[in-house]
Amino acid sequence: MSNEERRAHTKTLFRELRETNNPATRDELATLHLPLVEYLAKRFKDRGEPLDDLIQVGSVGLLKAIDRFDLGREVEFSTYATPTIVGELKRYFRDKGWAVRVPRRLQELSLRLNKLVAQLTQDLGRSPTVPELAKAAGVSEDEVLEALESGQAYSTTSLDAPSGEDDDAPMRMDRIGEEDLRLDNLEYFASLAPLIEQLPERERTILYLRFFKGMTQSKIAEHVGISQMHVSRLLTRILEFLREGMEGTAEY
Amino acid sequence: MPFDLVTVTVPATAGHLAVLRTAVGGFAARDQFTLDQVDDLRMAVEEAAVQLLRHSRGERIAMEVETTTGGVQVRLAGDVEPGDPVIDETSFSWTILRALADDLRIESAGTRATIVLDKRRLVDAGVAAPDGR
Repeated sequence: MSNEERRAHTKTLFRELRETNNPATRDELATLHLPLVEYLAKRFKDRGEPLDDLIQVGSVGLLKAIDRFDLGREVEFSTYATPTIVGELKRYFRDKGWAVRVPRRLQELSLRLNKLVAQLTQDLGRSPTVPELAKAAGVSEDEVLEALESGQAYSTTSLDAPSGEDDDAPMRMDRIGEEDLRLDNLEYFASLAPLIEQLPERERTILYLRFFKGMTQSKIAEHVGISQMHVSRLLTRILEFLREGMEGTAEY
Repeated sequence: MPFDLVTVTVPATAGHLAVLRTAVGGFAARDQFTLDQVDDLRMAVEEAAVQLLRHSRGERIAMEVETTTGGVQVRLAGDVEPGDPVIDETSFSWTILRALADDLRIESAGTRATIVLDKRRLVDAGVAAPDGR
């Protein structure tokens, strides 16, 4: 079936499904889009989980997308479903990562702190200190430290989703000037250039903004449209990658 | 709390760098640094320690973290070949460290090389230094 035919067939099936609510039609839609799930699941295959499990998880996302898709939308179903499927896969890794190492109490606090960090950063015009966070969260400084450290421990083994245009936290390129993206300065370090080329564009930009533009993590977070903690994790990982890369083989 | 001093000495192996990173992070987080700055310090210590490790001829790397009037000073020391600058000023490492620390210098005395990083606090710690500042 060509892409064109698949698209037309998808539309027909959706119309049918909305009218009849027939489970067989829903199954047919799912089968039709299974290749999309397989494609996306493969992007997560190097993280120690069997591909079959990942396809299963991604299929849950696909079914959710089928149930929520509105034919009136001007977007193709595959475009609509991709973030939902990726989101489901990410959540799977997130839950798994947490479940192994971090007690629920800390997971919850850590997630809450993540939101508070963003809010306080906006209110204060800079990133908050631990005492400020503790006060805002209504917990002790030690609890904040514990939660932050658990977040760090988690992040070294877990990975963030692959970045790409269909990532559900897209990079806001419109907010970054052309000039910022010129990497002359980075390329000055000849030995690093081949390594830097291997980095996804978002990571390259973060590297440049932090170390050559002197931008703080909070400002970068705002610029790129992700959380400060996420920027922090990415920076740590980028530096690690560059160091390993200079010694021998590394893969980002 | 002002003028606290923490000293950590670890074997000069890659596996122990995390101890230094964690120690400096814990220190700075308890010392009124913002989260951005805590991360800067962690990354700076890791980068400096990696460089020191590569040039080390000794068995240990020593880190001192000390509160100063306006911030914190981190000193990372190890034994190297006499005259080894450890980090070249044209290197990527130097650029990274310059971006992460407010002040950076390397002190050499014989075989002893010390990377000194200063980071200033953005937020007033609310405690006057003993010298009245």
